[in-house]
Amino acid sequence: MKKVYLGVDVGSVSTNIVVMDSNKNILDNLYIRTKGKPIEALKIGLRQTRNKLDKDTKVLGLGTTGSGRHLASTMLGADIVKNEITAHGVAALNTVPDVNTIIEIGGQDSKIILLRDGIVYDFAMNTVCAAGTGSFLDRQAERLGIPIQEFGNLALKSKSQVRIAGRCAVFAESDMIHKQQLGHNQEDIINGLCEAMARNYLNNLGKGKDIKPPVIFQGGVAANIGIKKAFERLLGHEIIVPRFAGVMGAIGSCLLAREEVRKTGKTKFLGLDIADSNFNVKSFECENCSNMCEVVKFYRDEKLAARWGDKCGRWSNVQIAKDDEKLA
Amino acid sequence: MPIKVGIPRALLFYEYYSLWISFFEELGAEVIVSEKTNKEIIDIGVKNTVDEACLPVKVFHGHVMDLKNRVDYIFIPRIISLTEGEYICPKFCGLPEMIKYSIKDIPKFIDTTINFRKSKKNLNRTVMEIGSYITQDKKKIKRAFEIATEKYNNHRMLMETGLLPNDMLKKDFLGEVPQPSKKDKVLLLGHPYNIYDSYMSMEVIDKLRKHGLRVVTCDNLETDVIDEKAKTLNKKMFWSFGRKILGTTLHAIEDDGVCGIIYMACFGCGLDSVIAEIVERKVRRSSDKPFAMLSLDEHTGEAGINTRIEAFVDMIRWREDHEDNLSTYR
Repeated sequence: MKKVYLGVDVGSVSTNIVVMDSNKNILDNLYIRTKGKPIEALKIGLRQTRNKLDKDTKVLGLGTTGSGRHLASTMLGADIVKNEITAHGVAALNTVPDVNTIIEIGGQDSKIILLRDGIVYDFAMNTVCAAGTGSFLDRQAERLGIPIQEFGNLALKSKSQVRIAGRCAVFAESDMIHKQQLGHNQEDIINGLCEAMARNYLNNLGKGKDIKPPVIFQGGVAANIGIKKAFERLLGHEIIVPRFAGVMGAIGSCLLAREEVRKTGKTKFLGLDIADSNFNVKSFECENCSNMCEVVKFYRDEKLAARWGDKCGRWSNVQIAKDDEKLA
Repeated sequence: MPIKVGIPRALLFYEYYSLWISFFEELGAEVIVSEKTNKEIIDIGVKNTVDEACLPVKVFHGHVMDLKNRVDYIFIPRIISLTEGEYICPKFCGLPEMIKYSIKDIPKFIDTTINFRKSKKNLNRTVMEIGSYITQDKKKIKRAFEIATEKYNNHRMLMETGLLPNDMLKKDFLGEVPQPSKKDKVLLLGHPYNIYDSYMSMEVIDKLRKHGLRVVTCDNLETDVIDEKAKTLNKKMFWSFGRKILGTTLHAIEDDGVCGIIYMACFGCGLDSVIAEIVERKVRRSSDKPFAMLSLDEHTGEAGINTRIEAFVDMIRWREDHEDNLSTYR
């Protein structure tokens, strides 16, 4: 019988699931698009994972991370729910134990994590603006009609410099269009965009930080070799892109779940067959005060499983076991 | 019927509410403070403000809207300078006009100019002018201001024991500081109207406290200590809140009890863009304390701020564990 841990990272752009055995070997990893429907994505992902696992596999624990981590935890029953910074830090330390810097660029977030002596020492995340993250690259690839997978390789073909403004996604896009109308090569424009993103990242997040090698580049955008090269040119040293760069958050939550289950001795995971359950979400605007919180009601197989979104706790604290119709 | 004076629960309310409320009450007015910031107030404020203003100013407009049909006067002083040789954000001195031209059918304003840049000599005249909206009895105004000042000083002394304005503003406030299990101090920096408005700050204080951290702000430190520290800067910080924030930062850098520093700024704030930068450099150059920057704007999704707070707390705990040579995780 195989014993495994599951790590789930529900991000804005992708939903990742990682299967790890007790010796920290990655047995399987899955990267699917969230497409704005995290519940659907998780169900599809979990079914795919189940189909690939042997019948007698036992799941010892499950961890969730990503901006949809609480939703995923409610759906699947997680042993540990952790923020992305910690999850990415743990995963990177497991891959390169002496890592000093992590560059992580995801769908909506970009982060820099500095580690010293094996602990997270400092971090920064992009502020309110999501310029220079995966979703922006996605949009540009779509606009240019290029599959995102080929974006990086195209950038490498560039022969001359085209400077694109990287401070703001809106400016970057108009700059790109402007350069394209001037007749510049698409490769050069794409390369310019990769450089703009790397430059913006370093100016914005790397500002005043001591970016010491070894540097790991992870998150969905790490698959883009054009940006990796741009970082290497700007930083002047090699950058490591780990084999499972796109799913490092999920790997981190696997490792954290393993740690947690070792402490508690049992898992809260509801089982792989939960993928066949029917999940439903209804939301309403609470009218009890002028905050008008948007409360979400989460149903598993037509039964109310959780509620969240209220500031005061009148909905989320109420015993779920009670018939909610009485309260509504 | 007493005169009804409305005080918007926004901007410098969190700094001076004890002074203002007791002053008007001593004069015999009925003081009505607007509701706590909520979605409706923000929505209505955003709708009625020039679009380039910052969120705190928009929120202020919302509070004025909340008051406008139920008071005789709204207290919107034109604040230019609170301390000699210093200024505050220029939006404050245009606030009465901004509101006059953005909101229709509003009651009269008490919009006395408060300007102590040259000296505090005109304090008496300023107080008399504000008081004259309610009564012509100068002795009464003088007496009311004395009582109000005493209340205000008491209030400041209470804060020096570790209380925060939003603790004292609670209806069931008993005068006790909530003591978390662990005695870790996190310094929360930022303009008072950002950090103490729990809706706008997405309850950052409560969230940090739930993680077992003690939240301290500029207000918990004696003014003398802050000023002493601020004097060591190579250049005088001429914004009053900037001086407080920087002085407190310098003090915290040397305080071993402070295990982390968070700066909460509003998107588009000119002052914060400078002060936060100086704070970050000071913290990074002369200490190894964790530092995080939180930006606020109109969005109501709390995921971003929760992730940052969680990760920040994880980092603090991780470091503690590391120092105690325990597990390397978390």
